[in-house]
Amino acid sequence: MNKEVMKNLKENLKGKIIDMAEVRDNRIYVRVDPKKILDVIEYLFFKYKCKLCTASGMEMREGIEIIYHLAREDKNTLINVKTLVPFPDLEIDSVGKKIPAFRWIEREMNEMLGVTFVGHPDMRRLILADSFPKGKYPLRKNFKHSDVTDEDYDYERSGL
Amino acid sequence: MDILKKSFKKSIWVFHLSTAACNNCDIEVLELLTPKYDVERFGIKLVGSPRHADALLVCGSVNAHAKPRLLEVYRQTPKPCLVVAFGSCGCSSGIFRDSYSIVGPVDKVIKEEDPNALIVYVPGCPPKPEAMIEAIVMGLGVV
Repeated sequence: MNKEVMKNLKENLKGKIIDMAEVRDNRIYVRVDPKKILDVIEYLFFKYKCKLCTASGMEMREGIEIIYHLAREDKNTLINVKTLVPFPDLEIDSVGKKIPAFRWIEREMNEMLGVTFVGHPDMRRLILADSFPKGKYPLRKNFKHSDVTDEDYDYERSGL
Repeated sequence: MDILKKSFKKSIWVFHLSTAACNNCDIEVLELLTPKYDVERFGIKLVGSPRHADALLVCGSVNAHAKPRLLEVYRQTPKPCLVVAFGSCGCSSGIFRDSYSIVGPVDKVIKEEDPNALIVYVPGCPPKPEAMIEAIVMGLGVV
């Protein structure tokens, strides 16, 4: 089934994909330029009828790598769309602007890793306390637990 | 101390508050109300509002979101009141101690508001129901 999916992606996403690899018999890695991520995800979601599993972010040396996990169930294939958002801007187009299912996971990546999703309609805090200091990102590699202490919290913003 | 002795002489009413607990302590508190342990025979009763309570039963390592809420509940409880730090997390924040979102165990937060607060510690993960009954009784002895 993988071959069929890869052939389709190669035809329909010509010029938008950097490279593609078959890593397991039910999993494909697709590497995409961050500027073209909107086109690729929109094609996979609306035209190719993939379902969103989740998205994940991870800090690498050059930037933050975001992986969008999309599943095509009738073909029994998981497509991992990888994109590298480079330092220091950390800006990428919001997929949640068009597809509401992506909004919560983008909010989470915004507060835990500091990626800015341009065009996201509702970028409030999702997981962290409202009083958590701005500009600190707990899932970054250089974050230490001692970076945020009780004094850093702004309890005026805690919503009470 | 006279007023303390007088105020804790009769049935102790307890308000149960969960500040970022994993729910295991909360379940253990409910077990106290079952026929096997039945704390109401001692007059210990869970109440729905901190304004009716003599003791606050606080479960969980206090995180930043829960801290203002815990202090608000403590301010609403009539003084003198007994604070029971329940479980390993309540006593010392447990395994979450060095996490970025944890601002301290129960006693640290309460003592910021009131340095003379009466605090009883019940360690255990979760504590046995007998331990909690003993803690309340010992707390009354201390008072």
